[in-house]
Amino acid sequence: MKKALHNPLAQYLIALADDELILGHRNSEWTGHAPILEEDIAFANIALDEIGHARLWYELAADLIGEDKNTFPDKQVFFRPAQEFRCLQFVELPKGDWAFSMLRQYLFDALEAQRLKGLMESKHKPLADVAAKINNEEIYHLRHTRAWVTRLGLGTDESLRRMQAALDELWPYAQALGAALPGEIELVGDSLVPSSSKTFVSWKKEVSAFLKEANLKTIEATVHEVDRAVHSEYLGVLLKDMQEVAQTEPEASW
Amino acid sequence: MSDTQWSRFMVFQQAGEGEPLMHNGTVHAPDIEMALLNARDVFVRRPDATEIWVVSAEAIYSRTREELAKTIARSAKHDEAIPKPKLEDYYVFGKLSEQGQASQLGEVEASSTDAALEAAMEKYKDRQVLRWYIFPVSAVLKSKPGEAAPMFAPARDKTYKDQAEYPVVTMMRQIRATGHLEEDK
Repeated sequence: MKKALHNPLAQYLIALADDELILGHRNSEWTGHAPILEEDIAFANIALDEIGHARLWYELAADLIGEDKNTFPDKQVFFRPAQEFRCLQFVELPKGDWAFSMLRQYLFDALEAQRLKGLMESKHKPLADVAAKINNEEIYHLRHTRAWVTRLGLGTDESLRRMQAALDELWPYAQALGAALPGEIELVGDSLVPSSSKTFVSWKKEVSAFLKEANLKTIEATVHEVDRAVHSEYLGVLLKDMQEVAQTEPEASW
Repeated sequence: MSDTQWSRFMVFQQAGEGEPLMHNGTVHAPDIEMALLNARDVFVRRPDATEIWVVSAEAIYSRTREELAKTIARSAKHDEAIPKPKLEDYYVFGKLSEQGQASQLGEVEASSTDAALEAAMEKYKDRQVLRWYIFPVSAVLKSKPGEAAPMFAPARDKTYKDQAEYPVVTMMRQIRATGHLEEDK
């Protein structure tokens, strides 16, 4: 791998990590509040998995830019201001109701499944290895969220209404999943990462067919905001909550 | 008020290749597929798992040794006149000690749950079974061997999900006894 591509790949990985981290944190807000005990445990597991994936991506990025991989993830998570995060607004939105959180997690899992296929083929071996490890957990996430989307879509009038409302709100934000990630354009040429626009086409085809079977209608939507440096008002609130303890005592060891 | 509780499913888990499955607990779920997913999350973390089964609690026929001592005598006379329905395979589990979980004994073929129980009691008569559990093979949803990696492997490296990783009780005892915590690492 060319030396000049180390930094672009690190920026790419940090963006992936930020999506996983913020979505994982959002999902963790259900812990203790999910509709049923078993699901509380299951969704907390999924949230924890996503945060674990974020750590793996941050560590890979640290190796590429000569940072200490033991301290780099915490620095990224707890000591960066909102404007330095590169997550999509799609993952920043508040958790909403159960339908909203399940649908968002499904849309995200389905996108990850497509992207991981490409990342597992990466010419950067450490990246391909981490992708394979993450993919192993994602297979199960997707199975879990697909099961929920189907049951809520084909459930009662109320569950269908809530799912459709969630889809109407999320769909424009979800279109940003097709935008190139930071550094991507240089990396695709050297077969280090897959093209987001191609990944997105496969995702959209699969997701649209699946949602239709669950009685849900996708509307044609314009992309909401593709710039990963532009955040919603919700990110700052989330970070304040997430970073507060670490920033109170930055020298503390855990 | 109507009961909004989901149905109950019993969860059986195999902790290693070749070992008998053991009853590990119960999950609530709207259907059997979700029950399998819930079982994975609730029970797979510890101990290690290589296979899990879920069965609707309603599909399980269960009798204790004491119950059987009373009823067998009563139902000893079977109606020979009733034509035999189709034979079916049943799984047989038994609780072998007061504290232990029900453990997999094997399978029997029978035309009803009652007949399956009788066949099981004959087949496994030298086992000390305190409570029998009988259910049709067709009522079970099993984790698929091909899915073992995503189902079970992730839990293995996640020691932070294991309560043994949090020796809080030991630590508190030490603090109470000595006024501080020994840093041994």
